[in-house]
Amino acid sequence: MPDTEIKDHKVKVWDLPTRIFHWSLVALVMIGLITGFLSPEWWMGVHLWAGYGTVLLVIFRLVWGIFGSEYSRLETFTFTPREVIAHIREVFFLRPTHYIGHNPAGALMIFALIFILVGITLSGLLVLGGEENQGPLAGAANYQVGDLAAGIHSTLTVILMALIVFHVFGVFTEIRLSGENLIKSMIDGYKRVPDSIKPPTHRDARPLAAITAMTGFAMISGSLLWAFSTMPPSGLLKMTENEDFQTECGDCHEVYHPSLLPRASWTSMMASLDDHFGEDASLPPKTAIAITAYLSAHAAEEWDTEAANRFRNVSPEAPIQISATPYWVRKHNEVDADIFKRKGVGGKSHCKSCHQDAASGRFDDQNIKIPKE
Amino acid sequence: MKMLSLAIALSTVLSATLGANTAQANPARDAIVAAFAAQAKAENPSFAGFSAAAGNTLFNSTHSGGKPDTPSCTSCHGTTPFATGETRAGKVIEPMAVSKNPGRYTDTEKVDKWFFRNCRSVLGRECTAQEKGDYLTYMISQ
Ligand code: HEC
Ligand code: HEC
Ligand code: HEC
Repeated sequence: MPDTEIKDHKVKVWDLPTRIFHWSLVALVMIGLITGFLSPEWWMGVHLWAGYGTVLLVIFRLVWGIFGSEYSRLETFTFTPREVIAHIREVFFLRPTHYIGHNPAGALMIFALIFILVGITLSGLLVLGGEENQGPLAGAANYQVGDLAAGIHSTLTVILMALIVFHVFGVFTEIRLSGENLIKSMIDGYKRVPDSIKPPTHRDARPLAAITAMTGFAMISGSLLWAFSTMPPSGLLKMTENEDFQTECGDCHEVYHPSLLPRASWTSMMASLDDHFGEDASLPPKTAIAITAYLSAHAAEEWDTEAANRFRNVSPEAPIQISATPYWVRKHNEVDADIFKRKGVGGKSHCKSCHQDAASGRFDDQNIKIPKE
Repeated sequence: MKMLSLAIALSTVLSATLGANTAQANPARDAIVAAFAAQAKAENPSFAGFSAAAGNTLFNSTHSGGKPDTPSCTSCHGTTPFATGETRAGKVIEPMAVSKNPGRYTDTEKVDKWFFRNCRSVLGRECTAQEKGDYLTYMISQ
């Protein structure tokens, strides 16, 4: 046996909670990405749960970074910039120093990933509260904030995907350079360490302290969010139902929510009821005036829901048709024309057939249910 | 078309056998018909009562002059007074025959509103008091 062969031994590096954390995070981030990019919007519920789960995992990891066992502790992989640069230079010359736990480049990646995930989940909560008027920040965030956060949310997601690619690339690079199967280590927790390297004295995990900290953290952030969530959703008017409107405008079709068209559209519709979509829908002047006033007072301009914000922009050719607005057309682009012909749907103008919350004007993603036939 | 002529034949036979006295009495509805009768008399001194047969024709014929999508009352109301119909926007309309739907034609404002709209949609003009009375007489006999 040539004596250049490096003798090594097995060391338990990743404790069980850290391993579970790692693979759960992989699963949740995958679910989040898939439901965010590929799935139709009525999967939004799953996307939200993936988000909340990610927040919990990240909080856990930070706590475990203090009370976990040796190599899970943040301090064991907090390196100075100089160490990081030195490490990268060594990798470049294919002779990296062996680190038992995370190496400096990997550690940097972990902090970057956690930082980005915090940004993604926070901006996600703001989108949810601002655009959709849901979740704990429904009252705190208005539509504009939500719209801004939506941009940040998707930018950070692109960065996250780039980081994931780098992360996987880094893992495979290190596997090639060190011959150590890092993926297996993250499954069974063991790494092979050359005998020449002396592991530091191992500090055990402190589960009780971790649980206490985790509970404390969850309680503080939970009650903070709860406090926010008691604020009434912003931008939703308290609207008393108008009897004339409900009966007169519900005779031929469902009653459309006043927030779905801007004031100018309602006024012009009410002034041309004698030719209403190819039909005479005239009303006695007194009733028409009352309904016009009601619609004007509750038109899209008065609301801060996503639908109201979007439907303010009407089609120049058909300014009184909700289903002709650019946003409507874009959102229903992927709904097959045949689906609108189903008996249970009845046509584009039958919002209620697919949107179970159409009467409230909210049009939440989770409340879309397309009739099967 | 076959269904339609069958329905017309059937309803003619029905009204012939049962006669006009099957009219379902209802003070509000009677008052509406009476008001149309008074109006018709004022419009036309030779007014000689309403005709269920003329109402039948008005309801079932195809007209021109109105809006292109609604050439007939039956475009929306069912093909017979007993059938349910559907608005162009897809909402169900309960049958128009009084025997089938006793609540019909008992609210002056509602009757006026719909005659105004539907006659303009189908005929392109308002209906005369004679036409309205004929239509109501026909539906009451059904
Ligand atoms: C006499 C029947 C009738 C009455 C009464 C009526 N509508 Fe309509 N309305 C229609 C028809 C028919 C359409 C076209 C629907 C379609 O294409 O499926 C329509 C379409 C609409 C649309 C557009 C829906 C879309 O696809 O974007 C709006 C908005 C609307 N109506 C509002 C009203 C309001 C407000 C009133 C009360 C003042 C009213 N309607 C009363 C028959 C009616
Ligand atoms: C055939 C069923 C169907 C009908 C009818 C329908 N929608 Fe939709 N709508 C959908 C689906 C599916 C989506 C989600 C599309 C997507 O984002 O992938 C959607 C999305 C939307 C959204 C965006 C929701 C969000 O938060 O992203 C709005 C607003 C909306 N619809 C309004 C309307 C209005 C107003 C009507 C009636 C004039 C209507 N819809 C009729 C199926 C329908
Ligand atoms: C564009 C569709 C449409 C057409 C065409 C139409 N109607 Fe109607 N009509 C309606 C609707 C909708 C109602 C109200 C539904 C209800 O009350 O159940 C109605 C109601 C009425 C009423 C009042 C019923 C009541 O209970 O008081 C009368 C009368 C009437 N129609 C007569 C006619 C006549 C006569 C014609 C043909 C000249 C006609 N309609 C054509 C849609 C139509």
